[in-house]
Amino acid sequence: MTLNLPAGAITDAATISPLALFLQADIVVKGVMIGLLLASIWTWAIIIGFSFSLRKASQESRKFEADFWKAEDIDRFYESRGKAEFPAAKLMAAGVGEWRRSTAQRVIDRDGTRDRLSTAMSSAIAAEIDRLSDRLNILATVGSVAPFVGLFGTVWGIMRAFTSIAAEQNSSLAVVAPGIAEALFATAIGLFAAIPAVIAYNRFSHGINRLESSLTRFADGFYATLSRELEAQR
Amino acid sequence: MERAEKIGLGVATAGHVLLFGLLSAGFLATPNPLKLKSPPMDVTLVDEVALQATAPQVSTQPPPPSVAPEEGPTQEARPAPEPAPAPEPAPVPPPPKAEPKPVPKPVSKPTPPKEVAKAAPAKPKPMPPKKEVAKAPPKPKAPPEKPKAAVAAPSKSDAKTKADAKAKADAKAKSDAKAKSDAKAKADTAARESGAGKADKPKGSLLGKDFLKGIDTSSDAPRRPAPPLAAAMGPQQKAALDRVISEQIYPHLRLPSGADVEQLVALLDVKIDRDGRIIGKPSVIDIQGETASNRPQVSVYKERAIQAVMAASPFRNLPPEYYDQWKWLSPLRVYARKAR
Repeated sequence: MTLNLPAGAITDAATISPLALFLQADIVVKGVMIGLLLASIWTWAIIIGFSFSLRKASQESRKFEADFWKAEDIDRFYESRGKAEFPAAKLMAAGVGEWRRSTAQRVIDRDGTRDRLSTAMSSAIAAEIDRLSDRLNILATVGSVAPFVGLFGTVWGIMRAFTSIAAEQNSSLAVVAPGIAEALFATAIGLFAAIPAVIAYNRFSHGINRLESSLTRFADGFYATLSRELEAQR
Repeated sequence: MERAEKIGLGVATAGHVLLFGLLSAGFLATPNPLKLKSPPMDVTLVDEVALQATAPQVSTQPPPPSVAPEEGPTQEARPAPEPAPAPEPAPVPPPPKAEPKPVPKPVSKPTPPKEVAKAAPAKPKPMPPKKEVAKAPPKPKAPPEKPKAAVAAPSKSDAKTKADAKAKADAKAKSDAKAKSDAKAKADTAARESGAGKADKPKGSLLGKDFLKGIDTSSDAPRRPAPPLAAAMGPQQKAALDRVISEQIYPHLRLPSGADVEQLVALLDVKIDRDGRIIGKPSVIDIQGETASNRPQVSVYKERAIQAVMAASPFRNLPPEYYDQWKWLSPLRVYARKAR
């Protein structure tokens, strides 16, 4: 018996050609495969973009922090480097801005200023972390759902294979094998999308946590400095 | 940030396309060293097997029993006289005659008969021997193989001995006609043995002439050809008949689904009338190929086999001359693996 393979499909049984498997598949399985393929592409796009932005943020923040502690004058340092677009700079900008607004008044409420500084900097950290981890939920979703979607495609494809067995009254391997192979291909694509997504999610979560804690440390140090300055302010 | 994501999207898309392109091109395909070569072969369908027997038919009759006279060693003696002019047959026939005749008579009366014969009016007596001598020569003519000289010589000697015997008998009782007639009878038998009896003599068997009287020897020579019996159906015809029947059954056979169903063979008992219709309902005699895995399907398969035979019921193309062969098919094997 011969399967009517579309032109271009490789009919050699020994070759696991994704194109041939895809072209043989049922329309539902095809949809599942296309969706999973897009999810995989999107996952990798996020992984690549995220690793760039996270590394850049971490490196810039570390460097900024190191430079900050070496700086003689906070105001001058802020004027020269505080306008940059990375978390530590944003944090510093939030702290310095709040400081300037609080100390501009004639009577300085020290406790109120400390509270506002603390709140402003922690909210700046939270905003930066939120912005950075915006895409992480997509990785989490793909990592957890893609295997199930692939499994759905497999189940559907195997159901179809059984239907063809019933229709042909023939349970030979030649009838069963192509359907099951194309069905399993859906699960393969699902896992292909899910595994990198899960790995990247865990790794990026860890990176975000590290960045957050380092930002928090920097914010604490900066807060302590500002608090001391507030003591000295008369 | 947007820039990084755009770069990521482009790189990811390019990577996926590259990966799937490589897979499609057989990049990761395992080389298959066991590529089976299947050269085209000529297949001859056996549909051309004729239903008519063309092979020489072997007779079912046993050969007629071989009878004893054929086996006698004396049969060799018969051809011998044919080529031989005189010497061979001559010595052979005389001994039996010479022995019985001279022995009883001369021993009983050695000397007196001669005197008596001389003294006695022996004239009328030599006559009968002469007659016999005259008789004897024409007789050997009947068996033409016998040379006359060979026959004449013994007959003459016979005649002499008989003449002697008669002379003795006459000497003993001249007026005794009885003795004469006895002697004549003896002479006659002797003449017969020497002349006409010669045809039988060479057989030399201890069996009498009428040994084969009760046996139908007519069947010996003309061997009757075996009648064209339906029972003489050859293996080719049997195969052709099987094929004709299975061709009509298997299109109707639908297998139950299940593991190892193909191994089942149903043995049916089917009776068919001359029109090819099934008489009654076929019954399942036996099931073969039953395993633990296809046991649940056995009963269904029995039903399906019967249904298939019933559905094929007016069987076509069955050779009417072999009706005896297909009127009662028991067992008719229905193979699950032949189902279409």
